[in-house]
Amino acid sequence: MLPFSVSFKPGLSVHEQVAYAVKKACVTGQLRPGDAFPSVRSLSQELRINPNTAHKVVGTLVAEGLLEVRPGIGTFVSRAPAATRGQRRTLLHEEIERLVVEARKLSLDLQEVIDAVRDQWERLDR
Amino acid sequence: MTSIIQTESLSRRYGRTEAVRDLTLSVPEGSIFAFVGPNGAGKTTTIKTVMNILEPTSGRATVLGIDSRRLSPAEFRQIGYVSENQEMPGWMTIRELLNYCAPFYPTWDPAFAEDLRRRLDLPLNRRIRDFSRGMRMKAALLSSLAYRPKLLVLDEPFAGLDALVRDEFIQGILELAEQSQWSVFISSHDIDEVERLADWIGVISEGRLYLAEPVAALVGRFRSIEATFEGEATMPRPLPERWLAPEVAGHTLRAIDAKAGEAGGEDRVREVLRGAARVEMSPMSLKAIFMALARTFRSASRAEGDR
Repeated sequence: MLPFSVSFKPGLSVHEQVAYAVKKACVTGQLRPGDAFPSVRSLSQELRINPNTAHKVVGTLVAEGLLEVRPGIGTFVSRAPAATRGQRRTLLHEEIERLVVEARKLSLDLQEVIDAVRDQWERLDR
Repeated sequence: MTSIIQTESLSRRYGRTEAVRDLTLSVPEGSIFAFVGPNGAGKTTTIKTVMNILEPTSGRATVLGIDSRRLSPAEFRQIGYVSENQEMPGWMTIRELLNYCAPFYPTWDPAFAEDLRRRLDLPLNRRIRDFSRGMRMKAALLSSLAYRPKLLVLDEPFAGLDALVRDEFIQGILELAEQSQWSVFISSHDIDEVERLADWIGVISEGRLYLAEPVAALVGRFRSIEATFEGEATMPRPLPERWLAPEVAGHTLRAIDAKAGEAGGEDRVREVLRGAARVEMSPMSLKAIFMALARTFRSASRAEGDR
C-alpha cells in the first residue's frame, strides 16, 4: 500500500497528477520528512501506471527538492527545506495570478475566492 | 532510440482479403506500446506475423533486430507471448507446467516464478483444464514472465476477463518494472486499463496504421469542445478538417478537435467559433479519443461500402 493516494482524472497528465498528490501528502502530513518513499516499481504497480512515468515523477520531485535519493539505501522525503525565494515568488505571483484570472473570467467576486481559499486551507488542516 | 519491433510496409493477405496493408510501425525499446483498433482491424495478424507464426505477403518485420522469418530459439528465449486463445496442456498442473517450461529458458527465475504465482493467486496442484478463463490467462502470463523476457507480446489479453483479474494481470506485467531493457507490446480492442500503462499508442483500422505516437502527445492534443450560442447553434463553414463528430442541437455545438491541445490550437478553435457566446474545451480520456476515432472509421468504411 502506498502512504498517499492519487485520484486520477482521465485525460490529464499522469505525471502531474502523481507529483501533485505527493506534494499534497507532504502538506497534509501523510508524508513526513525522513519517511521512506516507495520504489519506482511499487509506485508503478500500486498506481497501475507506466514505470517510465513513475520514474519521471521521482526525478521531478528530486529536482524540486521534495525527495532525496541516498545511494544504496533508497529514496526519502526530504527534511523540509525552507521554500526558496524563487518558489515563493512563483506561487504568489504566477499561480495566484492564474487563479484570479480564471475566477474573474467566471465572474466570481473576491469574497467567493477568499472563502474558497480558506475552505481548502482548513480542509488540509483536518 | 532503438526499436524492439519494427515493421516496414508489412502486408498480409488471406485469399483476396488484405488483413494488414503497408504497415510501418516502430515500437521503441523500453516502452509499453498499446496497439489498439476495432475487431478485425488486423491486430492479431500483425502480431502473428511479427512472431513468425505467419509470413508476410510483402514487406517485413524485425524483432530484437532479427527478421521475423529468421527468429530462432535464441530470440524466443527473450520473448514472452500470450495470445487470446492460449493453448496449454489441460492435463498439467501449474507446478508441472512451470517445471516443463523452465529448462527451455536460461534466465528462468524459480523464486520469481513462485512469488508471481502467489501474487496471481494460482494454485500449484489443480489441472489447467479445471481453470476458469481468467486463471488460464494468468497461467499463460506466469509462464511467460518467469524468465524475465526482454519483450512481452500480449494479444488481446483482457478479452473475457473480469475486472479483478484484469487488474491482477496488469500488476503481473508491472512485476518486470525494475528490470532495465523491458518492452511490452499489447494489443486490445478495449483500452480502459491501458491509458495509464502505455506510453505509446498505435491505432490500426482495416489493416492500416492510422496513428502511432506517445500517449501523452495524443491525449495532450485532443479536446472535446462545447460551444453555446445566443441564437441557434450553427456549424462553422468550412468545417475544420481536424474536427471529428461535430453536432449541433438547439443552442449547443459539440465537436472533437484532434489538435486543440497543440500550440495555438485553442486560439484556432476560438477563432472558428467566434460567433459563440461561450466555448469550453476539455481534455479527453484515451478511451473517449479511441471511441471517437472508431466511429469515424466505421462511418468512413460504411460510406466506402455503400458506394
